[in-house]
Amino acid sequence: MVSQPPRDFSALIALVAQAKDRAAFAEIFGYYGPRIKALLIKSGSAPAMAEELAQEAMLTVWRKAASYDPARASVSAWIYTIARNLRSDALRRGSSALYAFDSTFGAEAPAQPDAIVSGAQDDACVRAAMRSLNPDQAQAIEMAFYQEQTHSQISQALGVPLGTVKARIRFGMMKLRAFIERETGGRA
Amino acid sequence: MSARRHPSEERLLAFEAGTLSAPEAVVVATHLALQPQTRAWTHLARAVGGAVLEEQEPSPLKAGALESILARLDDAEPRPDLVVTRPRNTDTSLPAPLRGFELGPWRWAGPGVHVRNVLGPRDGDCRVILLRIASGQSAPRHTHNGVELTCVIEGAYATQDGVFEPGDFEEADPSVLHQPRVVSDTPCLCVAALDGQIVLPGRLGKILAPFVRL
Repeated sequence: MVSQPPRDFSALIALVAQAKDRAAFAEIFGYYGPRIKALLIKSGSAPAMAEELAQEAMLTVWRKAASYDPARASVSAWIYTIARNLRSDALRRGSSALYAFDSTFGAEAPAQPDAIVSGAQDDACVRAAMRSLNPDQAQAIEMAFYQEQTHSQISQALGVPLGTVKARIRFGMMKLRAFIERETGGRA
Repeated sequence: MSARRHPSEERLLAFEAGTLSAPEAVVVATHLALQPQTRAWTHLARAVGGAVLEEQEPSPLKAGALESILARLDDAEPRPDLVVTRPRNTDTSLPAPLRGFELGPWRWAGPGVHVRNVLGPRDGDCRVILLRIASGQSAPRHTHNGVELTCVIEGAYATQDGVFEPGDFEEADPSVLHQPRVVSDTPCLCVAALDGQIVLPGRLGKILAPFVRL
């Protein structure tokens, strides 16, 4: 279900940031571009829109590579956030106002003692944590990302009550957090 | 025993997934700006978003997409790499997420109560308002149809669940009628996502009701 990223993308982003390395960029593009497009299509974007936003997201990766801080976020979380913001902007949700205050994953705020996911080294841990969930919880959490839809629509799609969907997401998130804190030495 | 003061985990996940309605997202963002410790959850949600991204079965981009992007990289260089979000209002006391929206005028909404609209974020009848309530006064009564999220920006109010202070987030339970009362010496400023109408008090309210939508 989950494959390891084939390369150390954090190092590739650093090459883009420091040396404007096009080969490194091409590799990031080849891996993440098609995955962003796939995620956007599952989120309800038309294929042409998903293609455009995926390309725009990769261009943003090139422009903002210097602002990527591996101590604060995994590459996949950072790129996910870029794609999410572009989609949200395209839907005119005012995301630049809503998400800009935390675009650096808390870098502008004082260090938080309860930061649980702090960077690239935790990426594998997050995916392991996802595998530790029971299938219902993992499904509800994944669906929350896929559909351009609310929890009540997930509830209809799954044929389970809204409260159940919310509870699965809530307890799934708590379990993820507990798993990661345990694996990373109780950083909470 | 105090009630929770932050959004539920599923609401925080929806915020990061970009699926929360715009009015709800504004109130959640205000809370996150004022209470950085809640960002442990939103950063976890982003990491989960990254994990979900990793798991995608790749959907190939168009032939030539890479070449066309590579050709655009040089164009991309001279542009400032950070899009600066221009404030849309001059109220520097507001948390960052609220600076991105234009604001309507303050309007009277009962003794010691003023309301102004945060323009833009809407979802059906749900919209965002700023409420300023004087010390010792209660929040206005309102019809309640559904969503009602509140985040305190300045001052404090109390309900039967205890005191809510700056950064505290409250999700109204539609089955409970509560009448928050301002307990700070200074006015209490809140942002709220409201689905329903504020009811002006007394006879004047009855007269104005057909004309005034607050």
